[in-house]
Amino acid sequence: MPLTMANPGECYTIRKVGGKEETRRFLENLGFVVGGNVTVVSEIDGNLIVNVKDSRVAVGKDMAAKILI
Amino acid sequence: MAIKIALAGNPNCGKTTLFNALTGSNQFVGNWPGVTVEKKEGKLKGHKDVTIMDLPGIYSLSPYTLEEVVARNYLINERPDAILNIVDGTNIERNLYLSTQIMELGIPVIMAVNMMDIVEKNGDKIHIDKLAKKLGCEVVTISALKGTGIKEAADKAVQIAQKKGAAVPVHEFDKDVEAVIRTVESKLGSDIVNEQKRFFAIKLLEKDDKITEQMKSVPDVSAEIKQLEDKFDDDTESIITNERYVYISSIIGDCVTKNKKNAMTTSDKIDRIVTNRWLALPIFAVVMWVVYYVSVTTVGTFVTDWTNDVLFGEIIPPAIENLLNAIHCADWLQGLILDGIVAGVGAVLGFVPQMLVLFLFLAFLESCGYMARVAFIMDRIFRKFGLSGKSFIPMLIGSGCGVPGIMASRTIENDRDRKMTIMTTTFVPCGAKLPIIALIAGALFNGASWVAPSAYFVGIAAIICSGIILKKTKLFAGDPAPFVMELPAYHWPTVSNVLRSMWERGWSFIKKAGTIILMSTIVLWFLMNFGWVDGSFGMLEAEQLNDSILASIGSVIAPLFAPLGWGDWKMAVAAVSGLIAKENVVGTFGILFGFGEVAEDGAEIWGQLAGSLSTVAAYSFLVFNLLCAPCFAAMGAIKREMNNTKWFFTAIGYQTLLAYVVSLCIYQIGNLFIGGGFGIGTVVAVLLIIGFVYLLVRPYKESATLSVSTNKMFSK
Repeated sequence: MPLTMANPGECYTIRKVGGKEETRRFLENLGFVVGGNVTVVSEIDGNLIVNVKDSRVAVGKDMAAKILI
Repeated sequence: MAIKIALAGNPNCGKTTLFNALTGSNQFVGNWPGVTVEKKEGKLKGHKDVTIMDLPGIYSLSPYTLEEVVARNYLINERPDAILNIVDGTNIERNLYLSTQIMELGIPVIMAVNMMDIVEKNGDKIHIDKLAKKLGCEVVTISALKGTGIKEAADKAVQIAQKKGAAVPVHEFDKDVEAVIRTVESKLGSDIVNEQKRFFAIKLLEKDDKITEQMKSVPDVSAEIKQLEDKFDDDTESIITNERYVYISSIIGDCVTKNKKNAMTTSDKIDRIVTNRWLALPIFAVVMWVVYYVSVTTVGTFVTDWTNDVLFGEIIPPAIENLLNAIHCADWLQGLILDGIVAGVGAVLGFVPQMLVLFLFLAFLESCGYMARVAFIMDRIFRKFGLSGKSFIPMLIGSGCGVPGIMASRTIENDRDRKMTIMTTTFVPCGAKLPIIALIAGALFNGASWVAPSAYFVGIAAIICSGIILKKTKLFAGDPAPFVMELPAYHWPTVSNVLRSMWERGWSFIKKAGTIILMSTIVLWFLMNFGWVDGSFGMLEAEQLNDSILASIGSVIAPLFAPLGWGDWKMAVAAVSGLIAKENVVGTFGILFGFGEVAEDGAEIWGQLAGSLSTVAAYSFLVFNLLCAPCFAAMGAIKREMNNTKWFFTAIGYQTLLAYVVSLCIYQIGNLFIGGGFGIGTVVAVLLIIGFVYLLVRPYKESATLSVSTNKMFSK
């Protein structure tokens, strides 16, 4: 399911990172790699703050929909 | 021997703090050639021959952002003697991703694990000896914030730079990947030195098109790429990224002992509240209210009043006057110095204290980590009219002064979003526009309390409408870049870092007072005090102002503003003098209406101004001054940040056109309501409004997505 549907506080494994090549690369560089763990810290109107590889990353709604967990 | 050491690391890893600690005030800040990425250089304290280069914060040496391209071209071409790789100890896994790439460059590397104080506080342990062995470079621990260990780190970096030994990457990928990398390495031409072969080989495999610009001959590696892609069923770049993370995970278990797994950090706990769906906006509103209340109404007013009334009222002008009298200075020169320079520059410098207080708050919010959350909170709202949440920070700073506001737009990676932000930031009423608002409100609206808020409302409406309209033009078509941004951990900033950031922004404002405004007050004074009387050119008496050069120029351009309701040459001149600095408008009125000096809100001239303007015309004048091209200093900032003459003129032209259209509509339609009658102007205004609404609601144009063209900027 897409990351947008994740429950805050629960830890998930990343299955796939989609989206435009450039953004996907950026996400990979930030630590969003297949098999890695991701936890949603908080959510505002679809935008998420997630914890990935011990760092906090803010992801817009449209981008979060392309990260599958 | 001169040594160059480059600082490299992720954004938010404490690189700048370390740089400041290592170099002190001995810094040189500029731009990388051809791009608006900041370049910072400095001399290591106590070592005159050691230069420290602060590279932009990057996550990878891939070619996707300007910062990455700048950093890696520097590392490949300039080949510093050593790289000091700063790694955030609280977030070591992600940080090591960049480290594995830096190791491949064939330059001596020393790793400094930063934020050790927080790591220890969390109860985690980093075994640096094991880390050093697994990575093949020296590792030291530091805390840049507290200043511990930085001297040792710098000394070690100097040592390995002098040894000249190249780092040899010891990390290994999957054996199939390694085999292919070796094949590609053997194909590389002799122009690439041995230590760098692995870097170039991997970049070629990743199909990195910008790396070929750095090579004399480019071997064909498509067969190797295909071989890898077939084997792993993925594209080569993802394979390599994955291999790096696999290697890091394989060593991290040995090198880092975590206190407890998956416990919430303090930052996460704060984020739970501060970025909570319901609480985020109220908390943000309270924070902003406190910031503005303190910096504008209490402390700000107190220091501003003191500077204006005492420092530039009772202390400096009489002192200079006495001095000039003592040396028997010529009358005209005395006039120039006192009425021109001291009054003009002093009026501008009067804003400095208030602005410094505001910048102090913003610097604190920025370095403690809250500002990044603000961008996140505002993103959903800003997205609705085509801007990104990151556009909010420049606008916030722009409410103090547009110059640092425009410069703050650098943090927006996406080219299009950045340009749009630069174009709209100055719509926010800056500190210098407040006196104009006070003047108009006081003179024509009996100080009505709705005038000032309405000015901010006009600014915000202009930003929103511009966002929507511009997004639908060919220039800006396409979706805004998706919002992805790392949020730094919350922490108490050091006093020196906050003060430094406040000073850098404040200084860019003071500099404009010393250069552009100084020059233009002299020119303005000359234009106003000289002219032709009875056929002969000469200096004028105060009451002959109507004969001055300025009056002639003003009469020529005044008809242009007649449709806006203020066709008098004095109004035109005041508006033009606003281009020098917005607060000049009030001062110019003061001089034009025959008062040498006026208070900040121009109370002395309220009566005369009210006599020469109707309320509607006055509001139209106010709106025009709020929205039109900003002062010269801000225009200079726009030019620098756009880095392109065509874009600069597009921005200035758009702002002025919008201001003209909006003011025209306000005057013509407003006149209709107060019984001014129906005329050609009214028809034009109605047509303009229809056109404006059409631009707002017409469907989006589909267009190919623009991307940052780094190619053009780097090819010489």
